[in-house]
Amino acid sequence: MFHRVLGVLPLSIRNLIESLPTSEKDRLEEIRIRQDRPLEVMTTETSRFVTPKGRLTREPREAYRPSREDCRKMLNLISNHSLYVLEEELKRGYVTIEGGHRIGLAGKVVVEEGRVKHLRDVTGFNVRIARQIPGVADALIPYLFHGGRMENVLIVSPPQCGKTTLLRDLARIFSAGDKGLRPRKVGIVDERSELAGCVQGIPQHDVGPRTDVLDGCPKAEGMMMMIRSMSPDILVVDEIGRREDGEAVYEAVHAGVHVFTTAHGRSLEEVCRRPTLSQLARDGVFNRYILLSRRRGPGTVEGVFDRSFRRVGRMEVARSPC
Amino acid sequence: MLKLIGAVLVLFSTTLTGFRMARRYAERPRQIRQLRQSLSLLETDISYGSRTLVDAFGFIAKREREPVATLFSTCVRYLETLDGASTYQCWKRAVEETWPHTAMKTPEREVMVDFGKNLGLSDRQDQLQHVRMTIANLEVEEHHARDEQMRYEKMCKTLGFLAGALLVILMI
Repeated sequence: MFHRVLGVLPLSIRNLIESLPTSEKDRLEEIRIRQDRPLEVMTTETSRFVTPKGRLTREPREAYRPSREDCRKMLNLISNHSLYVLEEELKRGYVTIEGGHRIGLAGKVVVEEGRVKHLRDVTGFNVRIARQIPGVADALIPYLFHGGRMENVLIVSPPQCGKTTLLRDLARIFSAGDKGLRPRKVGIVDERSELAGCVQGIPQHDVGPRTDVLDGCPKAEGMMMMIRSMSPDILVVDEIGRREDGEAVYEAVHAGVHVFTTAHGRSLEEVCRRPTLSQLARDGVFNRYILLSRRRGPGTVEGVFDRSFRRVGRMEVARSPC
Repeated sequence: MLKLIGAVLVLFSTTLTGFRMARRYAERPRQIRQLRQSLSLLETDISYGSRTLVDAFGFIAKREREPVATLFSTCVRYLETLDGASTYQCWKRAVEETWPHTAMKTPEREVMVDFGKNLGLSDRQDQLQHVRMTIANLEVEEHHARDEQMRYEKMCKTLGFLAGALLVILMI
């Protein structure tokens, strides 16, 4: 998994990262490369800089500073020498590489008629290392049924609390039919290539054997396409919020398709304040809300609630295994 | 008797040299045309297939005949192994290494090296424009090459034979 990340780093930086202690490498979450500024590596807990000798330090002055040449080489390696292939990605500001890792890009933006045309002089890279954690959702499975019927699920969580990881694992479990479940057809609409992490249409994460993925497709449109063409039992969509997303959810639910989705928010009240979501909540579309936090590390499940926001079961505030 | 054998040998070798030179004149426009064809393949790859340069070059190397195939496969090798060195460097090296093995001359080499300067550096529209421009430039060179072929191909062949004949007469 990790060697894919190393593959897009220019030799000078690759050697530094490779020389880090294994215990550090295994916990790396982000590698941040900024032209002429300290090379930074981040784990779940801390952020540190890397010295030219490959040691970790908290002192930015001692750190290795990637040169202009490093950045240029890195862009060449990411794009395979073909920027024109990354046109869409440069507009969105990130690239998904093999292995499902994502690289955020920053630099000089070229604007045309008020819209971002592409990025020039890319000088900032944020390599986010993807680690799939199979089994994150195991403990939640029993709560997602009501009288033997599967429910529509909304995962509520602030950023970086593992909602995408959780959603991906749910897709995998239902698609594979793990945990004694009946296997189901799963359709993922992956607008930001985050859930399945597709490269050329092929999911880089394990999303299950019965899963179809629409990569880079706008959510509302994608959900309709899925319903029309792939007849899924479950639709999995990340981060709904716009009005058309809400309408598509209604369409799906009325067509008898179950919807698993997520929303940004610290609490259920916060979600209810947002127009589209509050409408969905009032109509009782979702009968299971899963609230996540980072209280005991990413992926802490604060609770599972039903359509009238009553706590379901006696789920201890438990940290899921990740 | 020995004289006769010597004369035949001299005549034979000069004629052969003449033919080889003529062949170069005949090969040049053909190879330029081949280059043009491979660039139109690249154009299609960029506009419809959105393949990366590495993939597109590999594909061309498989489809085209020598020596164009070698040019592209060499470039692919450099792109993949030179640790993110700029596309232009890889391309230039490949062009300069393959050129001596072709019948092509400096003008078309300049066109191809220039082509590398913009390779992979801009958006699709711009890339396509450059490919088209290069194809047009190659076409001009091909015309020149054809003109030269008309003028010199036959001449080389005759000249080789005649030069041999002259030598034989002088020596006898």
